[in-house]
Amino acid sequence: MGERMQGEQSKVADNRNGKGSPRQYASDVSVAEGEVVLRDARPSDSDASPKVPPAAIRFEHWGYRHASRRHFAVRGLNLGIHPGEHVLLLGASGIGKSTILEGASGLLGGDPVEAANEAGQGGADEVVAVEDSEGGVTEGGVFVDDIPAVAAHGRVGLVLQDPDAQTIFERLGDNVAFGPENMGVARSEIWKRVKQSLAAVGLEGLQLHRSTMHLSGGQMQRLALAGALAMQPGALLLDEPTANLDPEGVAQVIDAVSDVLQETEATMLLVEHRAGPWIDLIDRVIVLGLESDDQVKARVTQVGDDAEIDHSGFRRTIVVADGTPDEVFENRDLDFAALGIWMPDKYRRPDDEIHRIHTNDEPTSDPATGDGKALLSAKDLAIGRNGKAIAEHINISFAAEQITALVGRNGVGKSTLSLTLAGLLQPVAGSVEASPELAKGTSGNSPMEWKSTELAARISYVFQNPEHQFARGSVLEEVMLGPLRTGIPEDEAKKKAMALLRRFRLSQYASVNPYTLSGGEKRRLTVAASLAAAPRVIILDEPTFGQDRRTWMQIVSLIHSLRGDGVSVIVVTHDRDLVTALGARVVELQAQGDAEGVRSMHAANGTRITEKVSKDDAVSSGTANLKAIDTTITVSPVNERDEKERQSSRSSFLASLNPTFRMLGGFIAALPLILSLDWVSASVALLLEFILLACIGLKPWRVVKSTWPVFIGAPGSALAVLLYGKEGGRVWWHWAMITVTDRSAVLALATGIRILAVGIPAIIAVLGVETTDLADSFSQILHLPDRFVYGGLAGMRLFSVIRDDWAALTASRRSRGLGDENKVKAFFPQTFALLVLSIRRSTTLATAMEARGFGGDIPRAHARVSRVNPRDWAFFIVCAIVPTVSLIIAALAGTFTFFGG
Amino acid sequence: MSSSNQTTIVPKPNLKWRVVDIAVASVIGVVSTFIYWAAALLYGPIGSPLDALIPGLGGLMNGFWLFAGPLAAVIVRKPGAATYAEVVAGVLEALLGNSWGGMETFLIALVQGLCAEVVFLCVAYKVWNLITVTLSGVVSAIGCWAYTFFTHLQGFNMMGAYGIWYLVATIISGGLVAGVLMWYLYIAIAKTGAIDKFASGRQVRASSK
Repeated sequence: MGERMQGEQSKVADNRNGKGSPRQYASDVSVAEGEVVLRDARPSDSDASPKVPPAAIRFEHWGYRHASRRHFAVRGLNLGIHPGEHVLLLGASGIGKSTILEGASGLLGGDPVEAANEAGQGGADEVVAVEDSEGGVTEGGVFVDDIPAVAAHGRVGLVLQDPDAQTIFERLGDNVAFGPENMGVARSEIWKRVKQSLAAVGLEGLQLHRSTMHLSGGQMQRLALAGALAMQPGALLLDEPTANLDPEGVAQVIDAVSDVLQETEATMLLVEHRAGPWIDLIDRVIVLGLESDDQVKARVTQVGDDAEIDHSGFRRTIVVADGTPDEVFENRDLDFAALGIWMPDKYRRPDDEIHRIHTNDEPTSDPATGDGKALLSAKDLAIGRNGKAIAEHINISFAAEQITALVGRNGVGKSTLSLTLAGLLQPVAGSVEASPELAKGTSGNSPMEWKSTELAARISYVFQNPEHQFARGSVLEEVMLGPLRTGIPEDEAKKKAMALLRRFRLSQYASVNPYTLSGGEKRRLTVAASLAAAPRVIILDEPTFGQDRRTWMQIVSLIHSLRGDGVSVIVVTHDRDLVTALGARVVELQAQGDAEGVRSMHAANGTRITEKVSKDDAVSSGTANLKAIDTTITVSPVNERDEKERQSSRSSFLASLNPTFRMLGGFIAALPLILSLDWVSASVALLLEFILLACIGLKPWRVVKSTWPVFIGAPGSALAVLLYGKEGGRVWWHWAMITVTDRSAVLALATGIRILAVGIPAIIAVLGVETTDLADSFSQILHLPDRFVYGGLAGMRLFSVIRDDWAALTASRRSRGLGDENKVKAFFPQTFALLVLSIRRSTTLATAMEARGFGGDIPRAHARVSRVNPRDWAFFIVCAIVPTVSLIIAALAGTFTFFGG
Repeated sequence: MSSSNQTTIVPKPNLKWRVVDIAVASVIGVVSTFIYWAAALLYGPIGSPLDALIPGLGGLMNGFWLFAGPLAAVIVRKPGAATYAEVVAGVLEALLGNSWGGMETFLIALVQGLCAEVVFLCVAYKVWNLITVTLSGVVSAIGCWAYTFFTHLQGFNMMGAYGIWYLVATIISGGLVAGVLMWYLYIAIAKTGAIDKFASGRQVRASSK
């Protein structure tokens, strides 16, 4: 993507709230036009709404089978949650906890298409299975306060794991207002609720128009929580809300939930593998298990090593344990490790502690130091994207058999550093140098200069999202890719790949499409595929995100075992237990002036890391090869990389207009010109346009700069008309199909000028229009259906996410040895990967929108008002005058030619 | 669609739009804009002069701008899906600013989307195969050609050599890129399980099991 596009995109994306904006926040809230900072939201306000009664949730023989799955995710579940209870729901990965929350949120089976009466397996109970339009099958029922969950609008609020997936709009306030809008709440009440909800989660200091792109992970999750709260639910359902966050973000979210629960007395149902920090909020713990046919007693442990639980012969989901935290966690009969459950610190027994692990064939060296021979070194390195350094003077080395953990807050620049080390991002200054041993056989010692295949065989990068990495149609081909690209013959590559699949316990999936694996399996596959090219350095980005304890153990052992391959491992992580288990060296990235925060975060990490740090210092001073290891890398503060407010146009007049009128004005100024193809009307129009634009504050040079693509398009079209256009008059030149004549020359001139005259107003009028304002205007002024308008708007927000995905895909392809391919040949597979990713993102987005009541039958309210002022009509009339005058002058001059004659 | 111990009746096609239909159709439009930009970037510096020298060559790129409609239609299978996806793409491109002039992309997108839609409308949204999708690409291409000549390329004889070459190139591009390629792209996407929430995706998954 070119610079220009990014610039224009950010104009579309970024926020502003100029004076006289067409969008106005309701003024009866303490929100003044032009300044939408929320002021002190006093909880004691007299306008505090009456308390919402807490909700009861009841599952009655409930079950759900997802589309295209052979087995039910949950079946025969009987469970009752009483009003005001704070419940922690536990169970191994794949037991259906998320399905249960979605069910209680009324997101499943809401659109029944067919019902079939059938006898249940036991023969005694009659079960009704209902297939919905998503291809899922529901049995039994789930009720909120005795109302079927699908009909209990707004009674439950759901918060999901991925902060990105729940952000629907660009502007912070709009995300919170979305739920109440969908429930048809009155406008003044909506903004009151937005204010209260943001205050409840501790975000009251932020501007309502602030872009969600510039929030931290913890802030994003609190925003999602505020969005759920604004619906005033009687129950909060939280699906691993802190799994993606750094320790500080985790603390923020838990504090916010704690405050909210005290304030509202709502019911809470929490799904969380790492329940430790939550435990004081919890008054009931429920552990789920499966009951199967062949083994009538409860099967609470998993079969095999598979991350997904074995559902074959699965009969129903049962409650294995139910009680207060003390009762459940002190019950010695339950094997929590086998259930994938992380014991809360409070209840940890000695054998629950995470210790430094050991694996077979482990080398004798200490993982924190490796064998002492540096493979890769950063020399006075400065890192950053787009040439702007966020950290400088980094000197650090990575040795074989060494494990390094890069830690630091979300967004501090860990990925920037690791991508630079991986030869996927150009250093801003300084260098990344490969040792002679690592660089042998390549063109030089700088990984960034290597060919993609050279890189793949030396340094490999495992992305956080496995789907950024898939490049082939089957699991086996995926693992064979690396060896094949690095020149190993096919049968040998296959043998090697099969051996790796066995080692990573994936051989049964050899012919399966990689995208269809479970989360844990996908991650194992990406590590296997990286390893297949036999790199000496492997970098893993957040390898343990959101894993249950069992899967976590598998991944950790796997990473540790890489030392046996003589590999230098670098993990980017927040996970303290991971660092402990691997015995890794810790390298912190911390923002300038932020030392206190990062220090305190690691202080909780215990003496173990402190020891490690001091040991590293000893190594750095003692070993010549590993000189000057920085255990702390200082980067520029996150806030300095913050947004600037933007106007929706460089002209404050244009910015003050209603987007629909800007659009229509752009049309009416341009389209009538199409009636005549002549140079007079085009030139007059172009001249008038420049004059009028100058009058509203857009200097000619600024206009040209903003519309440069038409200046490239126009001469091209003019040239084509000159060579192949309508003929007439003197023939200037003739060759093959080319005939240049008097007439084609005149038409070419007219075409070129007219493309400018048509294009410039049409571009300038809409350039920078904010999509949210446009959507509001489409809905309120043009009365287009809200479902499509706001569905499309939410899709457009994904544009920036898609752009990042594309960059990640490009990098991953280089890392996998595919980067040297012909660009055109590489374009299609990468496009495919992008589409699959985007479609997945949009289906999650749809879930998030439905969780906020979008798409229901209730008429929507509009939190923002789209206004039409007299100046909008004035603008429209002036726009209409331009082509009218131009065409009249052309007619008077006798050059008017209808459609070019 | 049946597991070992039960049978469920497969539902009839439902023409009512769900939220997920809107979300996926939207994102197909958005990704198309992105892909068109990326393709234009690849093609850009060398392509534009060649357009002028080799008549109609530019038409071969047009398919990249037409594929959102047929792809959204074949995945979502709801009336208006092709038009909606094309219009979303058009609006987004207009907001980004492009060489064909801002809001005009909105109009051409509408024309192309409606043209792509016509084919599926003719078969009452019941026939989904390589032929209908290819036809959809072709009709959309004709719409694109007609619009272009109606507006920007009035300086040509629509039925002259350049016009015919341009039409042929656009139709080939529309048929191949927005038609044939989209059919196989849809099958490949379905196999990843990403569109299991759609009847179109489940159909492919069921037959490949």
